[in-house]
Amino acid sequence: MIQVKELNHQFKIGKKKRETIIPVLKNINLEVSKGEIVTIVGKSGSGKSTLLNLISGYIRPTEGNIFINNQNVSELSEGDWANFRINHLGFIFQSFQLIPSMTAYQNIELPLILKGASEVARKKQTLDMLEMVGLSDYKAFYPSELSGGQQQRVSIARALIVKPPIILADEPTGSLDSENEQELLNFIQKLNQDHNITFLIITHDDQVAKIGHRTIIIKDGKIQGGRSL
Amino acid sequence: MKFKDKIRFVRQNMKKNRMRVFMTILATAIGCAFLILLASVGFGLEKSIISDLTEGRLANEINVYHDKDFNQLNDEDVEILKQIEHVKTVTKRNTLHHEMMFKLEEYESYWPQVYATNFPSEIEAGLELSDGRMPQANDEIIVGYHFNEILTEGNGNEIVYYEEDLIGKTIDLQVIYYDKEEMKQSESFPVKIVGITKQPAPKVKEQFALISEPLLKEIEDFTVEAFLNPEQSNDEDVELNLDKEKTYDDVRIYTNHLENVSGVIEKLNELGYGNYSVTNQLGQINTLFLVIKIGLIFVGTIALLIASIGIFNTMTMSVTERTQDIGIMKAIGAHPSTIKQIFLIESSYIGLIGAFIGTLFAYVISIVINFVTPMIIEALSGNEGATTQDIMLTYIPISLVATSVSISLLVAIFSGWRPAKKATTVDVLKAMRRDI
Repeated sequence: MIQVKELNHQFKIGKKKRETIIPVLKNINLEVSKGEIVTIVGKSGSGKSTLLNLISGYIRPTEGNIFINNQNVSELSEGDWANFRINHLGFIFQSFQLIPSMTAYQNIELPLILKGASEVARKKQTLDMLEMVGLSDYKAFYPSELSGGQQQRVSIARALIVKPPIILADEPTGSLDSENEQELLNFIQKLNQDHNITFLIITHDDQVAKIGHRTIIIKDGKIQGGRSL
Repeated sequence: MKFKDKIRFVRQNMKKNRMRVFMTILATAIGCAFLILLASVGFGLEKSIISDLTEGRLANEINVYHDKDFNQLNDEDVEILKQIEHVKTVTKRNTLHHEMMFKLEEYESYWPQVYATNFPSEIEAGLELSDGRMPQANDEIIVGYHFNEILTEGNGNEIVYYEEDLIGKTIDLQVIYYDKEEMKQSESFPVKIVGITKQPAPKVKEQFALISEPLLKEIEDFTVEAFLNPEQSNDEDVELNLDKEKTYDDVRIYTNHLENVSGVIEKLNELGYGNYSVTNQLGQINTLFLVIKIGLIFVGTIALLIASIGIFNTMTMSVTERTQDIGIMKAIGAHPSTIKQIFLIESSYIGLIGAFIGTLFAYVISIVINFVTPMIIEALSGNEGATTQDIMLTYIPISLVATSVSISLLVAIFSGWRPAKKATTVDVLKAMRRDI
């Protein structure tokens, strides 16, 4: 489902004459199969978030290739990446990334609008999704009026609404208390079991790492090893 | 993303900053109104001048004054003119230069304008009547729409105009002459009014009478006989006139189509006939006014360009304020072109609403200007009759509105282009880190 082959990435810091190159990821090879939950753990600055950003297409790799559903996404143009993202990937962010001026309903509906879905279809799917995440009574609430756990559920509903086969999550429990964290992890496992959705989760939390079928450890930009359930 | 949804997005975004958007729209509206009003002066003056020029004239009419030797036109010339391609008909009129008057009951008219003409060719040329019919007998005449205004009764203190229906009335055409004792005499030619010409354009007075060519001959035969009376005829001019061939004072060509006027004029110039045509004159005036109008629109556009700075500023602020939203949208799969279109639609929306309000402003101001200007002229000239003519200082045709709206729209798109482009280049990660 996801294949990362000989991926190298480096950041350039400073202006031309005083440019410093900092290698962030070194020779990364990774494979995630359909229906798997893979967690990537590592310390701060280890390069795990950079890896997820590369897989999400937010930054382009310096070297190497990334294949998603057998398509080499490293070669996609920005426009093609946008189309690929809306059709194949769902995203869950640590700080939820909800649009503050939109209600819970509008935030969840947004991917369908971007996809060009009809109004009738949008309404049905959005209401279904609100029910699924248990927020039917909060559809008219703005993000600032919701708790952290509720915001993350809106964020998950937005990621799921286009029925993506893969969900990429960057520290999904980072802003949640332990009760909400557990609730979210249960929900991810349920989605994986019921809908066979593939999850690639970046975390530094052992609790989160434990839900993965496989856990990959990154240290200093290199894959140090892994463990399976 | 559907167009309808983009519009919904734009409207939501605009509502967030009502005051800023309103001020930008106001600036655009003022710019657009200024452009329309400035150019409308050119359109208004053109309309006034053209309407002055064309009143009472037909567009396919060409007046022919003289032949190549600057002589008045005769029957031979008229035949040549008739042979020119695209000429529908040629009318020929002669003015009666005799001292004469009309008399109907107690009402009299001194020195009336009387023309002798050939009625069939007048009909072919498009002479229309408001009442009555065309003459059938030699003593039947047609009078102008305002003929009754020259039939008056009474002295200088109290003048009464003839107000009864003229159709069917027999009126005396009295030709004045002097006998051998130089006493004023008159010969009466009773004629019957059978038709009144169609009401002319508002500023044109038609007070003439049209008589038939045979009646003219009858009058001329009488006057020649009177002048040739040996006891009084020592007038050299009379003898000279007798030797001359028959010529016409007023010869007009009517072309079959308007577009053939210039072709016929070209042929007339080639043959050496002096001519005048409103259409030809209009062509030159139109070119002059086209240049003036383009100049005014160009100057007016500068006002819109100033307004465009406001649009640019508003759009730039809008993009900056919404950087996080743009980043999130891009992160979940919004196409860069969708982002660009949303901002371009927003700037176009501002331009269009501004143009719409500006057009309304311009129409209102134009109506006020056209209403007030005659009053100011009257007040300044101190003469109540100074503005009997309709003065149109400003005129806003649909074409001007369309041009101004198009310019406003283009300027708005132009102003929004760079901010919209900037929106597409928003870095997803930087934008999303903003709230952390």
